[in-house]
Amino acid sequence: MSAPLPLVGEMSPAATIALAAGIGMAFGWTLERAGLGSAPKLAGQFYFTDFTVFKVMFSAIVTAMLGLFWLGWLGVLDLSSLYVPETHWMPQLAGGLLFGAGFVIAGLCPGTSCVAAASGRGDGALVMAGMFSGVLLAGLLAAPIRDFYDGPTPGGLTLPQFFHLPYGIVVCAVVAMALTAFALAGRWERRA
Amino acid sequence: MPRRSSDPYADPYLAGIGLGVVLLAAFALAGRGLGATGAFASSAAGLVARIAPARAAASPVFARYLAGAGPWSEWLLFELAGVVAGGFLSALAAGRLRRAVERGPHIGRGGRLALAFAGGGIMGGGAVLARGCTSGLALTGGALLSAGSWLFMIAAFAGAYALAPALRKAWR
Amino acid sequence: MGAARVSSHRLLASVAALAGVLAAVAGSPAPRERPAVPASRTGVDVTRLAAAVAHEKDHITALELAEWIRGRRPGLRIIDLRSSGDFDTYHLPRAENLSIESVVSTPFRPDETVVLISDGGAHAAQAWVLLQTLGHRNVYLLRGGLGEWLAEVMNPVLPVNASPEATAAFRRASELSRYFGGVPRNAPAVPSQPDATAVQRRGC
Repeated sequence: MSAPLPLVGEMSPAATIALAAGIGMAFGWTLERAGLGSAPKLAGQFYFTDFTVFKVMFSAIVTAMLGLFWLGWLGVLDLSSLYVPETHWMPQLAGGLLFGAGFVIAGLCPGTSCVAAASGRGDGALVMAGMFSGVLLAGLLAAPIRDFYDGPTPGGLTLPQFFHLPYGIVVCAVVAMALTAFALAGRWERRA
Repeated sequence: MPRRSSDPYADPYLAGIGLGVVLLAAFALAGRGLGATGAFASSAAGLVARIAPARAAASPVFARYLAGAGPWSEWLLFELAGVVAGGFLSALAAGRLRRAVERGPHIGRGGRLALAFAGGGIMGGGAVLARGCTSGLALTGGALLSAGSWLFMIAAFAGAYALAPALRKAWR
Repeated sequence: MGAARVSSHRLLASVAALAGVLAAVAGSPAPRERPAVPASRTGVDVTRLAAAVAHEKDHITALELAEWIRGRRPGLRIIDLRSSGDFDTYHLPRAENLSIESVVSTPFRPDETVVLISDGGAHAAQAWVLLQTLGHRNVYLLRGGLGEWLAEVMNPVLPVNASPEATAAFRRASELSRYFGGVPRNAPAVPSQPDATAVQRRGC
């Protein structure tokens, strides 16, 4: 009666490692193909000259979101067994702002910094080193702000649950917003 | 900018769809999406645990990586190793493999490297607070319609756009 | 931008738009409605039921359930009898949310293994009796309810000064716990109540 996917329960540790590495390779390959291993290209997003970041990110989100919805609807993928990141309102708001600031300073995010470094870019390697240092420091200094960091959480809260809307309606709304934004980005680029 | 002898970049929409398919495959095969932060956090946890195990256990950030099979068995470590390999192979195939420090036209190498490190550090702090980054929250959580992930995504774009004018010299 | 590229973009956008609109129409990937089963079974074999309870054949432990889930036991149906609000806050992977009134009219097949879960186990035990009287044999309950799942699987605790057997058992439980994204830990100075909000998984 249960859906055939996800497969993870049936795999040996070695197969799990191979799967993780394989997925990572496809991820890294695709990012590099799109040019997201190049910091000046990424930074262009924030000066309205190069919308690649936005286009890649939201095409990916829409594709995966639609895929999840329909595979779930077909009963092929068991959505309830997927890991949904937990929602932590204040830490994710504050963390997001901080992350964005760091992103425009560095020109690369953690994933793309690995791609840049792998392509031979020294700046990519420095972003990775900075990221590691920042995580290390944050981890060591987190204990005093434990209550802020680890406060009560609604867990894996989703937008349909939050807005009390059917899953499909939210999916449709996100698709509509993304397509509109893509059209606007195209218009913006043609003007520039 | 890619050199004339290297391939042009892929169309962003097609690359994005490809990325979405990879993400979907991750869900379907492994029951989880992509990520990067966890790899950094897990290795940091492992490092601190070697040097000062009490500090590691006392940290609400590191403690979660020390349970069970331990920080060096973290799924994301292997995934990120794959990202490095995949990025390398693609750059190699496209003729984009070269030692360089990519930067804006009006900043020096040293300045760029300093900003790269500083930006990375700030992102590290933000990613720890948010429990993720663009890969794990924006992409993965975004596709799953996670409320906190969407909030993170909007906040990250806002933070970047807000600071961009101050950083013109670095990029323009 | 070439014409071919523009038209392929338009095609992709149309496909996405169609998939989105159909999603709105489809609403939710929820399980389809099941036909009601006639509630005309009679003959409650009280002796058999009492024996099953006395010989502990009516329930399974949380760790056993965790093994069944991870091992993808065929025909496993996990029925969560709590309110939908509680279910939305946290539920076991692959769990289905049914009220006790719906569960008695749900047509379980003989090859399905039904596991009933409620907060403390009382509703689950009551539903167990009801399903058994309807003739369903392959039904079990989680005797300690969701609390047992959280304590044994999600947040197993290694007590201070644990014996070697307890430590070995904790290690096995930890492995299962990690699979489900739980947080095995050593006993804290002050024992705490397991609660659904303490459930954490490795992040991203």
